[in-house]
Amino acid sequence: MLSMKNISKVFKTDLVETHALRDFNLEVEEGEFVAVTGPSGSGKTTFLNIAGLLEGFTSGEFCLDGVNVSNLSDNHSAKVRNEKIGFIFQGFNLIPDLNLAENVEVPLRYRGFNRAERNRRVESALEQVGLAARMKHLPSQLSGGQQQRVAIARALAGEPRFLLADEPTGNLDSLMARQVMELLENINQTGTTIIMVTHDAELARRAQRNIQIVDGQVCDFSMYQKAEQSVVTDLQQAAGIQQAASSNG
Amino acid sequence: MLHIKPILSSLMRSKSGPVLLLLQIILSVAIVANASFIIHERLTMMQRDSGLMEEQVLSFNVYNFDPAIDNIQQNVIDQQILRGLPNVIDASSTNMMPLSGSGWMDRYVDSADEDTAKSMPGFALYLGNEHLLNVMGAKLIEGRNFRPEEINTQLDQSGMVAMVSKPLAEEFWGDESPVGKIMYQGAQTIEIIGVIEKLQGAWVNHENFEYSVIQNIDFGGGLKNKTYMVRALPEHIPALEEAIVKAFHAENPNRVIDGFSSLLDMKKESYSNHRLMATLLSMMVILLLLITALGLTGMVMFNIQRRTKQIGTRRALGAKKRDIVNFFMVENYMICLAGGVIGGLLSLQLGQQLMSLYSLPMLPMTYPIAAIAGLLIVTTLAVIFPALKAAKISPAMATRSV
Repeated sequence: MLSMKNISKVFKTDLVETHALRDFNLEVEEGEFVAVTGPSGSGKTTFLNIAGLLEGFTSGEFCLDGVNVSNLSDNHSAKVRNEKIGFIFQGFNLIPDLNLAENVEVPLRYRGFNRAERNRRVESALEQVGLAARMKHLPSQLSGGQQQRVAIARALAGEPRFLLADEPTGNLDSLMARQVMELLENINQTGTTIIMVTHDAELARRAQRNIQIVDGQVCDFSMYQKAEQSVVTDLQQAAGIQQAASSNG
Repeated sequence: MLHIKPILSSLMRSKSGPVLLLLQIILSVAIVANASFIIHERLTMMQRDSGLMEEQVLSFNVYNFDPAIDNIQQNVIDQQILRGLPNVIDASSTNMMPLSGSGWMDRYVDSADEDTAKSMPGFALYLGNEHLLNVMGAKLIEGRNFRPEEINTQLDQSGMVAMVSKPLAEEFWGDESPVGKIMYQGAQTIEIIGVIEKLQGAWVNHENFEYSVIQNIDFGGGLKNKTYMVRALPEHIPALEEAIVKAFHAENPNRVIDGFSSLLDMKKESYSNHRLMATLLSMMVILLLLITALGLTGMVMFNIQRRTKQIGTRRALGAKKRDIVNFFMVENYMICLAGGVIGGLLSLQLGQQLMSLYSLPMLPMTYPIAAIAGLLIVTTLAVIFPALKAAKISPAMATRSV
């Protein structure tokens, strides 16, 4: 689904060069739910921006859904973002002057859907997040959790192949954070690939796979988790053998 | 896609800025439409063809102080001197100068019978000899000029003939030829012998400005002080002033010659108020459009600043650069069109008021329409550059915390 090979991102000023990502490699399979964690300034947001085609990179190769997207034009990037990627932002990024339906409709308009199709998708997406009854409300009339659910509906309305979530629960209390997380899990169960950047270790643990970005490079903890699981299994097997031997003896 | 509905919804929900801009546009259109109309009226007035060789005609006054002078004889001598000067095409005495703001006006009737006589419109009355037509460069289109033997020296003499301007003839006699008709001034009869294509009077603001009559009286003979008109090519006119003074003083030094002025200068002077008004109104129109453009640019720049994250989010959600440009263009075109339509209606109302208060003609619909079109151009210029700048906002702005 997503393949990054030796991606580097260097920010240059007159005085310094900052390597936000260096030799960054990541493979994400279709349907995975990947949590990305890392300390502040480690390159999480840069990774997310590159993965979402929000900004370019200095070197390397990036394939999305089997297509090399390393050197797309601005218009082509916008088209890919619109059709294949759903974005969920920490600050929800809803447009305050538009009601919920109009907010959810924004990416659909850019896609050129006709009114009937837009209405169908808006209703379906808002229904999915449980806010269909409030589609004429303004974002300011909703709680933070509800606003994030609208943002999720907006991301879902385009029926994207994968969702990029940037600290989706960062501005929410724990109850609302859990609800949003459950919603993301449900979406993932329908086959949508999700990459979620988070600071919350507890939420990260609920993802299928955890990667940590440190100094612009990936530390994939899934192999440690697999090794840990393998050790546990070996120990359990060893304990089972020992128990069987002692009972036989 | 233009996305008019969400843009309109957005405008309706945060009205204060757009409403202020709308008011500015309404007033601008109303004022610009009426001011443009007045400017056009004044320019049209200034560009009216006088039918005369304005740049070739020089006039001046002669004040005679010699008690022994014979006015009639002196008038003949002076005109002979003038016609004998090098580069002079022709010369004549006159009682008034066209376009000068000062002159003679009269009104004749078409019958000796006071009960049935119909009054002609008022007209400028020129008195001159057979040279006057040629000196002014006016064109005779029907009939004939005066003959030398027909020229009188007094107003009350018999044998009066006249040439009338075509607009006056058309106004009074319609399609009928005026040649041969008799005009009456009390008991005196004046026969029309010719029609001049165009000859304006002295007062540029007068409604009968185009109505003129030339009568066969060499007026310079009746007075000590005389006004002469000389025709020469424009390049010879500056040198001519000195030559005239020299020649006149050589003939008789007891006189003052001054007041040299070309017809072109007189015209400029007569239209100076109109020119000033047109200039002031033009500056006001430019200033208003500039202020409106600055208002639009300011609001767009403020909105871009305010919506930086929103623009980044729109870009992240799939908006292309041209979608962002379109967004700002459509938003401002909507304000501009709404303001333009209301302003257009207001301009018609304002035009009605000006019509009743200052006797201006009715404001034609083309002016509000042109004002709206002009404002659309101003809007385009004022908005396009900030909008292009907004389109450069990176979609990565969506993930930034500021």
